[in-house]
Amino acid sequence: MLELRNLVKHYPSAAGEPVRALDGISTTIAAGELVALYGPSGSGKTTLLTIVAALMPPDSGMVLVDGREVSDLSARESARYRRLQLGYVSQAPDLLPGVSAIDNAALKLFALRLGVREAHRRVAPLLERLGLGDRLHHRTEQLSAGQRQRVLLARALSTEPQLVLADEPTGSLDSRRSAEVLALLTELCEENGVAMLLVTHDPQAADFAHRVHALRDGRLGDHVP
Amino acid sequence: MVGIAVGVALVFAALVANASLTGAVRELSEAIVGKADFQLSARSAAGFDQRVVAQVQRIPGATATPIVEARVNLVGPRGRSSVLLVGGDPRLERRRGLFLPPPLVDDLGVRRGERVTVETGAGRRSIALAGTLGRVGLGALSESPVAMAPLSQVRAVTGMRGRVSRVFVDAAPGRERAVEAALRRIAGNRLNVTPADQEVTLFEHASYPTSASTALFSVLSALVGFLFAFNAMLLTVPQRRRLIAELRMAGYAPAGIVQVVLADALLLGIAGSAAGLALGELASRLLFDSVPGYLTSAFAIGSQRLVTWQSLVLAAGAGVLAAFLATLIPIRGALSAAPRQEPTTTESPRWQRLAIGGGVACLVSSLLIGGFAPAFSLAGLAVLLVGLLLLLQVWLRLAATAFDVVCRRLRNPAAIMAALELRSASARTRALALAATGAVAVFAVASIGGARADLQRGLDGIAESVDDGAQVWVAFRGPANIFGTTAIGVAKGQMRAIEGLRGVRAVSRNRGSFLDVGHERVWVLAPTPSRVGGVLRRQVEDGDPALAERRLRRGGWVALSEDLASELDVGIGDRVDLPLPRPTRLRLAALTNNFGWPGGAIVMNARSYARAWGSHAFSTLGVRLGPGAEPVRIANAVQSILGQWSPLRAEAAGDRLHHQRAASRAGLSRLDQIAAMVLICSVLAMAASMAGLVWQRRPTFAAMKVHGIGQGQLWFALLLEGALLLGAGCLLGAAFGLVGQHLLDRALETITGFPVSYELAGTGAAGAGAGVTAAALFVLAIPGWLAVRVPGSTTLPST
Repeated sequence: MLELRNLVKHYPSAAGEPVRALDGISTTIAAGELVALYGPSGSGKTTLLTIVAALMPPDSGMVLVDGREVSDLSARESARYRRLQLGYVSQAPDLLPGVSAIDNAALKLFALRLGVREAHRRVAPLLERLGLGDRLHHRTEQLSAGQRQRVLLARALSTEPQLVLADEPTGSLDSRRSAEVLALLTELCEENGVAMLLVTHDPQAADFAHRVHALRDGRLGDHVP
Repeated sequence: MVGIAVGVALVFAALVANASLTGAVRELSEAIVGKADFQLSARSAAGFDQRVVAQVQRIPGATATPIVEARVNLVGPRGRSSVLLVGGDPRLERRRGLFLPPPLVDDLGVRRGERVTVETGAGRRSIALAGTLGRVGLGALSESPVAMAPLSQVRAVTGMRGRVSRVFVDAAPGRERAVEAALRRIAGNRLNVTPADQEVTLFEHASYPTSASTALFSVLSALVGFLFAFNAMLLTVPQRRRLIAELRMAGYAPAGIVQVVLADALLLGIAGSAAGLALGELASRLLFDSVPGYLTSAFAIGSQRLVTWQSLVLAAGAGVLAAFLATLIPIRGALSAAPRQEPTTTESPRWQRLAIGGGVACLVSSLLIGGFAPAFSLAGLAVLLVGLLLLLQVWLRLAATAFDVVCRRLRNPAAIMAALELRSASARTRALALAATGAVAVFAVASIGGARADLQRGLDGIAESVDDGAQVWVAFRGPANIFGTTAIGVAKGQMRAIEGLRGVRAVSRNRGSFLDVGHERVWVLAPTPSRVGGVLRRQVEDGDPALAERRLRRGGWVALSEDLASELDVGIGDRVDLPLPRPTRLRLAALTNNFGWPGGAIVMNARSYARAWGSHAFSTLGVRLGPGAEPVRIANAVQSILGQWSPLRAEAAGDRLHHQRAASRAGLSRLDQIAAMVLICSVLAMAASMAGLVWQRRPTFAAMKVHGIGQGQLWFALLLEGALLLGAGCLLGAAFGLVGQHLLDRALETITGFPVSYELAGTGAAGAGAGVTAAALFVLAIPGWLAVRVPGSTTLPST
């Protein structure tokens, strides 16, 4: 489903010598597979997700999603790719302030011109499954951090994407809630045949992942717990 | 800061303009009057016998200085200027020739020793330019429209041989009362005895409508400026509250936090006021520098600028005060024991009921003030603005709900996203501030523009009445004679030739002048009996117009403007004692408006005027034409008879009306300029607010892009949101602007005494609303487009 071929990315630095954020990353993630990626801060995890989400091009290498190169798409095409094929769960729960949980979760569906009623019809079961059935019309400010994270998850999954990128989705949750979310992700992944790349520090994640990698100094290696 | 600067600029410019107007007249008066205490003045432009001067000189302890003065036109190679020609200054008596202010010498294009043509109503004479006023110790008059010459030469030029216009009298210390009593004995019932600087008092009264209406509009604009600042501050309330909360968490004492906030307000106030003073200085030089045309027909007004320290302190102080209020009011409560991170909620049903109740109460109160206490119309406008802001919150919620209902039926993602943002509780303060800025701007533009148009319509109606009954007019040339108050001379042969022109049915000899009554310089209109009805009919405020017309035609009756009748304490049918050149028995037939002249008006027939003034001189000829006669052709024929170089001008009634309207429009031009300035500044204020707001939302846009929302969709949503907010705000502002127009009309009627013809300026208000919305959206489009181009990656943290 997702294939990364020798991805390289440099950032300029104040010292003059460019920082090599990604140094020849190559891997594949099959449909229905959950891959957990560990790594210290600054190891290049978010850079990798940003490139896979077509928000930033790599210096070299390729990102193939279902065999299609996505790293050199136009702004319009990359937006369409993120809307239809990709689900992104960010570390910070970027929900619209003052807007209800169901409207926040349906944001991507609105962009598909489904209309409000149809979008709500589609996203409500997802929210119920995520344990937010009684919070559909609560505004962002009325939700806890965990609830917000789950709304974001519902948003990411609302368009039934082929690929989900999750950046520290359990970062703001306690261990019990964290385990619940990880279990749910695994379940959704297997049920719907979604390829999932999970960037995390959470030690529990390894227990739910099909495969575990570590990213150090821009290179992919085995994770040593 | 833009809001504060605009408010300060308008107040400062209006104060400088008003102070300069009076200052110019005072300077001229002081230069001519010298150190005199009293003046004995003629009641007509013809002056009085010079033998009276000898009588004055015989008063023990009195030193008399006689002068002769006349409104004339000076003509040089470069053009024509209306000036006050004065003779009698002791400093010039040993010289010969004309002395002019340097700017006038440049305007006329004459050099020392060259001859300048002096036009009077009776004819043309020439006199050599002897020098500038500065050379003879009269430099203070260098900015005044005045020409000076030795007494004998002025008499010769103006045809006032053996006559005197006024005598300035300097009383020896301790002899003031005795001298004044002696002057009153000499004056009897034919001359006026007044303080020497009476001209300044008369001018202050005459210019009051201009200065008061400018001040009224400026204060309204300043109020609008303050609201701009207040709204801008509302946009920063969440940040300020967060700052206060953080300072409190960091252990700052309330006093320390207050110091931080006050320092912030002080800096803002000083910066805003400094910018406002600079802008106001520019506005007072470029926009408010024109002398209202209608006043120049009765007073010699110079172009001096007078910037007083009071103007500076008042305008800057108001700016700093506005900054303090705008900074402190929105964050009230943030220092309380339990700090709130978000502003006080305005969503509770109780608050909404209060807002609706308060808003409606304000609206009703302002209407009541307009109806029953127009003197308090400015307070009524402030109350109306408060009502607008209270109802705006509820109105916006209604608009957002309606938009949401519509969007739920649409599949347009941008519309849905705009609806989500508008419904968002956290964006409500921001939305309110933005909509309020638009609403207040349109309110100001609609009410000021509407009231100005109503005033203009009223003045236009007067011009039509005054010119009624003749299709061609002959009057003294020059912009200072728009009221037809300068006596003219037409030779008998010329008169016969005019009357004999083919197409001419009749020629009426109309009279008119200014007459000083108490503290007012009053306009006297004396049409021929056949024209009295046309002049009077539409201007009668109290009394039977038909009966009044019959009485005035018969003679011995007058119509007075309401204020003048009230000052003289006379009612319809009463005998009227006016300070006329010759005591004449007159009775009051009707009360009128003031015919667009702030000092008031007297209407009588031309025969009564001739008797009261002891003169058969007339000031305009009205030529009535037969069917099919072409006014412009006849006007040209009349001009040929008078001569192309004649000081008199013949023009078709349409052209005369056009000139009169242009003069009254020039008098109201400041109001136009204020309205335009408010409009421009409101668009600027909104642009600044919106650009800041849009820029603050870049992280949200970036986050939405991560989820595949395209930048085109984001931009369109932003524009839709702006259109709805501004459209709703401007619509309510326009509706309230119409009520504001009514209030301003009542205020102008009360202040100026001018007739104001109210006409609902719905189109103008809608145009202002649409214009402000369109301009603001146009401005929003650019920063909006730049903001939505934010890369989605910027929202992602580094891990």
